[in-house]
Amino acid sequence: MRTLRGYRREDGRFGVRNHLLVLPSVVCSTHVASEITVAGGVGVVHQHGCLQVGDDLQHSERLLTGVALNPNVGAVLVVSLGCETLRGAGLARRLGERGATVELVGIQADGGTAAALVHGREAATRMGGELSRREEVEFAGDALVVGLDLPGEDVEARAIEAAFDEAGIATVQAPAGVEGPEAHVELAADGVVVIVSRPPAEEAPIGFAVCPVVAVSSGSDLHSAIAEDFDVSPKPDEAPTALAQRVLAATLGHAAGTPTAAESRGSREFVLRRLAVTM
Amino acid sequence: MDELTGYRRDTAWGVRNHVLVLPARAGANVAAAGIAADAPGAVAIRHEWVGHSDDGDAALVLRTLAGFACNPNVAAVLVVGVGPADETLAAEIAARGQRVEFLTLANHRGTAGTVAAGQGILSSLLASAAACERELMPVSALVVGLECGGSDALSGITANPALGIASDRLVAGGATTMLSEVPELVGAERLLAARAVSPEVGERMIAVVESFEREVEALGIDIRGAQPTPGNIEGGLTTIEEKSLGAAKKAGNAPLTGVINFAERPHEPGLYVMDTPGHDIEQMVGLVAGGCQIVAFTTGRGTPTGSPIAPCLKISTNSRIFERMQGDIDLDAGRVVDGYVTLAEMGDEILAALLATCAGKPTASERRGNSEFAIRRTAIASATVLGGSPETAKAREGS
Repeated sequence: MRTLRGYRREDGRFGVRNHLLVLPSVVCSTHVASEITVAGGVGVVHQHGCLQVGDDLQHSERLLTGVALNPNVGAVLVVSLGCETLRGAGLARRLGERGATVELVGIQADGGTAAALVHGREAATRMGGELSRREEVEFAGDALVVGLDLPGEDVEARAIEAAFDEAGIATVQAPAGVEGPEAHVELAADGVVVIVSRPPAEEAPIGFAVCPVVAVSSGSDLHSAIAEDFDVSPKPDEAPTALAQRVLAATLGHAAGTPTAAESRGSREFVLRRLAVTM
Repeated sequence: MDELTGYRRDTAWGVRNHVLVLPARAGANVAAAGIAADAPGAVAIRHEWVGHSDDGDAALVLRTLAGFACNPNVAAVLVVGVGPADETLAAEIAARGQRVEFLTLANHRGTAGTVAAGQGILSSLLASAAACERELMPVSALVVGLECGGSDALSGITANPALGIASDRLVAGGATTMLSEVPELVGAERLLAARAVSPEVGERMIAVVESFEREVEALGIDIRGAQPTPGNIEGGLTTIEEKSLGAAKKAGNAPLTGVINFAERPHEPGLYVMDTPGHDIEQMVGLVAGGCQIVAFTTGRGTPTGSPIAPCLKISTNSRIFERMQGDIDLDAGRVVDGYVTLAEMGDEILAALLATCAGKPTASERRGNSEFAIRRTAIASATVLGGSPETAKAREGS
């Protein structure tokens, strides 16, 4: 079994990135969250968190919580507006109860945008400084958990899954019918630390805020035209098993710290799958 | 009324002069942002539309993005697509008479090449926009959104009725105003219908509220889980009906000229109700896509929201939040309660501030750089998870 380097979290899981996640609880606080990241951290922008009900609200809360508890996240700064349905204060409290290093910035509680920015940047600087002192450790390859977003279940997808299986690396499949950036959020909430993603033939690869996304080209005309946005592209007449071995090798390299194409171009989307219309 | 200036477009007037860099799909977000970075006068948005061709919301999203791009505050548009299929959006924008250029990741070897090529196209669009100059603009060319967010118990007593006075004066002057957020008109629909210019408009007003209520019922959910929001309740509101009666006051007493679909543009002046959700950002996108050059936004709890292309003028319902959130809110209608101004004077003040903003004075949210955007979804694939049918979502969207 090969060994990898990463970050050991309180619960014993290992991450391959060491992010300070600046997480808005609602669309209304995304601007402040983004502005806070000039002081450090990785921010996400999303359009949710208010006037959601029932299963849809619970599902969104579960995903935000799960992503914030992902092993690639060393600390979380929750940015709340204050009057939202998916309340930032409750989100921060639950994350703390589950062992996360977490702080809360509230725009209304702090007294507006200017005060929240001062508070948030101070917290991001301090929390980022603490994170940078966390040391990388070696961990066994069988502690790596890889998410697979390979819609189609064709021969290449099966070969990629088999290659990880033979290498003793655990994989998690995206939920049935969920693909692309929506799948990345669901997979990250389930604790995967690297995602292997092959977009549909007519869609571009999309990165994700918290986990490196290893983009695998389908070889379609579109994918071939934008090959530089992918990490692995099929060679002419390449056997699926050979492609799968290159995907495995690339995944281990990106897990070890080499930025993915998406990380290099700054693609950090965060698309929450919704179960009901906004009220 | 005060002197008003704006930018004359082919069929409307803008109050800002933006060049919009619009990703057709989420896969083009990074390229769009890269093109607009460091280009003063250009604004890029990012959104969550992944763009599956079989998605039931494809037509709604096309209408929303095209409507947004054709807002008269936008001088020209650069659509950034992933592949040739995205030309549909650029074609729709062109068909509506807007100046638009189009490029794709596929034609420029991916994101980096697209950014480089897009910057060149953007320079020429910015140069043509810079040639537009402000002229005297008739008040009748104004289309003003009437929005509230983070309401409290004073919303229906101070800021909303004062905005209603401003709305009445705009409508009397031949302008257009738009009330929205149908879930926050539940309980107020008959009052609005009674003011309709025709029985058909009155019936449509009742129908959109009933359609929303039926949809909620079909989903098997209790709207009280979301309306009023926790923040509304802390602000002293007790029921959705109480919130609605206060929310409807933003529309003053003018006759109701029409009820329109999300992101639909009205064809004649007057007061309209647009069928939008209560969500602040989804409704603001709908209003701006429907042609509003400016949005008046009352708030009790304090929210710093803004649109990427339309100024959003904030009016607090109480003085405490105005003072507490320094620099986030433009006007304080809480002074009505303290007796410092009358409602009529506050209405005049709001109207004057709206006109000054249109003439170029930046709002608090423009100074802060707030530019939130959201894609309205109705054909949620798994509405069945909650027991609803896709038909109810479709019925609500209207024809």
